[in-house]
Amino acid sequence: MTESFILGLSSGSACLVTCGMVMFPYLMAGSAGVKRVVADVSIFLLVRLAVYLIQATLIWYLGQRIITSPILRTWVSGSLYILFAVMLIWYSIGRKRNKECPAAIISEVENKRMIPVFLGVVNSLGFCPALLLMLTRSSGEDSILQCWMVFLAFFAGSSLWFLPLPLTGKLGKKNIITTVGIFATALAGMIFIIKGITIILGGLIYE
Amino acid sequence: MKNIKLIAGIAWAAAGLLIIIMLFPGLGMMSRKLATLPFMKINPNFSGGEVGRQLVSPVCTLDIRRPVFDGLFSERRKGFVQFDWRGKLPGEIEDSIDYDFDSIPDFYVLIDTKESTTYLKALNPAVKDINVSAATSYGWALRVNLIRDPSTIPPGEL
Amino acid sequence: MNDRTSALKPNKSAGKSLLCTLPMLLLTFMFMSGGRPDFSNTAQFLALIITFAGVNVLFFLMHFTGKTDRYRAVLFIVFAISLSFTLISNMLETRSSMSFNQSDVLECRIPFCHLVIPMMIIPAAFTESIIFPGSIIGGFADIASMIILWLTATIVLGRGFCSWGCFYGGWDDGFSRVRKRSIVKKISDSWKWMPFAVLFMVAVTAALTLVPTYCDWICPFKAVTEFEQVTGVESAVKAGVFISLFAGLVVVLPLTTKKRTQCSFLCPLGAINSLSNKITPFTVKIDKKNCTECLKCVKSCPLFALTPANIKEGQVSIFCSKCGKCIDICPNNAIHYGIKGVPAGTRKNFSGNLYLFVSFLFLAVFSSGSIINTLQKLLDFII
Repeated sequence: MTESFILGLSSGSACLVTCGMVMFPYLMAGSAGVKRVVADVSIFLLVRLAVYLIQATLIWYLGQRIITSPILRTWVSGSLYILFAVMLIWYSIGRKRNKECPAAIISEVENKRMIPVFLGVVNSLGFCPALLLMLTRSSGEDSILQCWMVFLAFFAGSSLWFLPLPLTGKLGKKNIITTVGIFATALAGMIFIIKGITIILGGLIYE
Repeated sequence: MKNIKLIAGIAWAAAGLLIIIMLFPGLGMMSRKLATLPFMKINPNFSGGEVGRQLVSPVCTLDIRRPVFDGLFSERRKGFVQFDWRGKLPGEIEDSIDYDFDSIPDFYVLIDTKESTTYLKALNPAVKDINVSAATSYGWALRVNLIRDPSTIPPGEL
Repeated sequence: MNDRTSALKPNKSAGKSLLCTLPMLLLTFMFMSGGRPDFSNTAQFLALIITFAGVNVLFFLMHFTGKTDRYRAVLFIVFAISLSFTLISNMLETRSSMSFNQSDVLECRIPFCHLVIPMMIIPAAFTESIIFPGSIIGGFADIASMIILWLTATIVLGRGFCSWGCFYGGWDDGFSRVRKRSIVKKISDSWKWMPFAVLFMVAVTAALTLVPTYCDWICPFKAVTEFEQVTGVESAVKAGVFISLFAGLVVVLPLTTKKRTQCSFLCPLGAINSLSNKITPFTVKIDKKNCTECLKCVKSCPLFALTPANIKEGQVSIFCSKCGKCIDICPNNAIHYGIKGVPAGTRKNFSGNLYLFVSFLFLAVFSSGSIINTLQKLLDFII
């Protein structure tokens, strides 16, 4: 659960970095006021949770049938950590992040009330090696409930970055959070490279 | 308003001077007071947990500590239990240990204190393997990895 | 009042500076000797006298010449080196090695340092315990004493702790002064926000794993203090990480940029101390009447605390550690130590002298233990 939370934290910071400038204007539209923003962010997060749980169910079912060997799981796990790390570092140093954000499609939505719902769906379906990592971790769970708990921890970690959104009024503060998010993403990338290398070399961290 | 800010600022700065002057002579007293606060104790994951029972033998004393599964919010699935042998230790320590006091030995251990090697044979599915086995200033310490409820862990992960 | 004079311009009167040094002489003597100097051990007594004289000469020179950073740095760097010397020689004497082993961890004998504090807070709140294998009270660098020292200094000095208290800061401060000119001229000052990201990550990971992750995996200063014995893959990887970080952030980058890159880019405690700049009574003020916006202060600041925007606003950012470098370098005496609530350009002498006294007293007494210890060992060797 701890590791899932940390994975979620790392992917959440990458999400903020990549999609933040696309999502913020919609989630915090103009003079909506703090209450409206809190409601929109809550809907966005709940939709993300629902989509994650659906993915968890599918992934658990598929994982039970595909990744069964412990050795394969170690190599896949270690390699995915490194892939995830490279992705995080690439997101953090990339310049044209917003163009890659799947949430950019939101400009096509006419019904503004549905925007948080669409953002929640799009955001949780975005390609992310963290989700592939969740495949290897959660597929080994004995029951679907344990798999859901693992995804819940991942969701909690990734959502942490969105919580300050209603409170960051001034543009200056948003930029600071995004800057810190970029650095956190790169740091998470470094951590996972080390973890991936250590796993592959046969070390164990915090079992 | 400006005058109030001025006076308040200077007063706070003067207080800062007094605080630094009193800091070093008062460090001992302040540290002792701080040490009495509830959170000022070492986490059991580092301290090894409280001593649950002491077994005294002619050669040495064995402290059996309570199993540690402490997590941030709740207990973790995996933890450890620590044993401390105190006194003048023999070259070999051989023991069958019952850490949960249910009169059934949980594991057998053979420690060569001269060669610093340890052999452990688990007799209880909750006992996993050796975490740490090392000489200490008081004798020898052994930490054994445990699983809180082995029946909930998938066989592949045990 | 003549606005063009700075609180810290050279005092033409040595007598005046001596008068200002008298309280420092008295207090440092009392605190260093405990009021009862020990004459029985010659080396220890000599070490005490040399340290006492040294710090007071530095304070006198600081006041007399008006140059803060130059003399502060001498004591600050000597502090860092002497602490490492004390720790390493102690370890070599007791364990014949710089690495600590499992029994040191089991018996909670690891000396505590203030860098653990950011990681302790969340676990302490939830588990009511400290996630560090150290001694709560008693012994060298016990947890209670170190917390009191850091907390008090941070409340009074703010991020000034990073230039007047931290016994690691002297390392990258020292390396940043080796070259006359920097090789790397331009660094984005966005990097100064990285410690907040580090703080966030280490606080969360430490809370979840109940292990001080910064100390366990990252801290570069393990290279000059003590580190985990290398016994396997994980400990070898950890050693690789901290050695690389020390070489990069503490040695190479400060040498090439003339900036304190470890403090600016990595230290999570620096992030907390930056926030404490909001509550401290002291600050650095920019007198806009005298400022010509030459930006020499911006280029000289080792912690990226000054930007052209700050100069226009007339105040330093939260990253300021009050080291005094900008004050020393300003050709128009437009920057000075100040007290919050007191307008910039006024009461410069009073504010400057008060801040200097407070911060130097803290540094002098805090550093005296390890400096005396180091000198004593050297004198024992010579005598």
